[in-house]
Amino acid sequence: MAQKELTLFPGCMIPLRYPQIEKAARFFFRTIGVEVSDIEGFTCCPEPWNVKGAGLTEWLTIAGRNLGIAQKHGGDLITLCNGCYSTLKEAKHAFSSDERTVEEVIKRIKSTDLPKPGDIRVLHFADLLSELWEPVISQCVKKRLEGANIAIHHGCHLLRPADVMKFDDPFDPEVLERIIESLGATPVRYRGYTDCCGRAILHRDKSLDVASAKLDSMKQAGADCVVVPCPACFEQFDLGQVEIKRKTKRVFDLPVLHFSQLLALALEADPSSLGLDYHRVPVVDLVSKFLS
Amino acid sequence: MVRANPDFAKQLNRIEKAGNLNYCYQCSACVQECPAALRFSDFNPREIVLCALLGVADELIGENSVIWQCATCYNCYERCPQKARPVEVITALKNLAFETGNAPEQITALRESVLNHGTITTLSDSMKKRRDELGVPAISLPEAGLLKKILGG
Ligand code: SF4
Ligand code: SF4
Repeated sequence: MAQKELTLFPGCMIPLRYPQIEKAARFFFRTIGVEVSDIEGFTCCPEPWNVKGAGLTEWLTIAGRNLGIAQKHGGDLITLCNGCYSTLKEAKHAFSSDERTVEEVIKRIKSTDLPKPGDIRVLHFADLLSELWEPVISQCVKKRLEGANIAIHHGCHLLRPADVMKFDDPFDPEVLERIIESLGATPVRYRGYTDCCGRAILHRDKSLDVASAKLDSMKQAGADCVVVPCPACFEQFDLGQVEIKRKTKRVFDLPVLHFSQLLALALEADPSSLGLDYHRVPVVDLVSKFLS
Repeated sequence: MVRANPDFAKQLNRIEKAGNLNYCYQCSACVQECPAALRFSDFNPREIVLCALLGVADELIGENSVIWQCATCYNCYERCPQKARPVEVITALKNLAFETGNAPEQITALRESVLNHGTITTLSDSMKKRRDELGVPAISLPEAGLLKKILGG
């Protein structure tokens, strides 16, 4: 089995709000034989719309510090969050430019005894799925989700800006659909397939309206659940359904899973060990209906 | 009377290439799939780029500006035939609004949390308990105030 060593970049949302996603991911890494180490010193990536909106230079400095730490003490980074993925990847990209501001930031990071950030890879859980599926992961799959219609929500920052993220086509992504098919399930395409979850829109009602439109469209396409690669999108759809119900009385009842949770189930994790009952939209029926 | 200020665009933080706005030829390709434009009658990435270009931006970088409704979805970035990157122009405008104290409170609070704790939120007791129950390793949180040190210099 191909051995790989990676450093976990935990971010904030997963360890501090959704540790059940971390639990599933750790089970997954262990089961496929990828060694993932934890190192000290990381902070928030930082988050790519509010902290970045407050100050680009500051955002870049904090991101550069995180990259520098990984370079000094660890190796290639693995993240479970589109926000962390986009911040770290975009920062890495920015550090290769010759902007004067960037030079200043690099100088500051170096002054804290860290190397110039840029020489390590930043991987998303979804990259791991696509890179290791054939050689490793497919052979570890024990359970299938035969007959389930799965709506993938990619989340904007996995796909865009495509010239930096380089994950898949920004409006016609297919990589993750192949994974869903390999699990015996059907990836459903729906109207607004690559649309945003709306999370970053400040006005909460409008933000939820964006989520509603997507959930509605998934439902119309016959989806049994939503699978996401990002804790922010997860929150927007899972907790979001509770808010939408309260504010508009609309009920979708679409369970939401992070890709790591779907994979942990397929790798025969005991569903009761995964903390799935912490989800706001119940997942238990989905699991008992399709997992076999 | 509103006056144009051709030097305004030079103030935009260029790290993420917000400086490409002068390539904009006002085609509106960025508007069609913009989730914010679909929901706010006063949000239009084409107009925002134009205002930044002309330097007629007092309102955009003022209090309660519509720029904070941008979903940061990067649809406009991908759809713009001129690589003008409206979303980066918006981020750069947000930076100016923040500098002048016009950012919404949530944004300021979130940034403060990151600078003070290193994270967007802290570890609550219930979450600590949940982590223990799940059996995930104890979390090592960054030292308080750490980022202020590195940013301060
Ligand atoms: S920013 Fe690009 S897409 Fe938008 S109006 Fe200008 S040229 Fe057209
Ligand atoms: S990034 Fe902002 S301006 Fe661009 S399409 Fe998305 S919401 Fe609209």
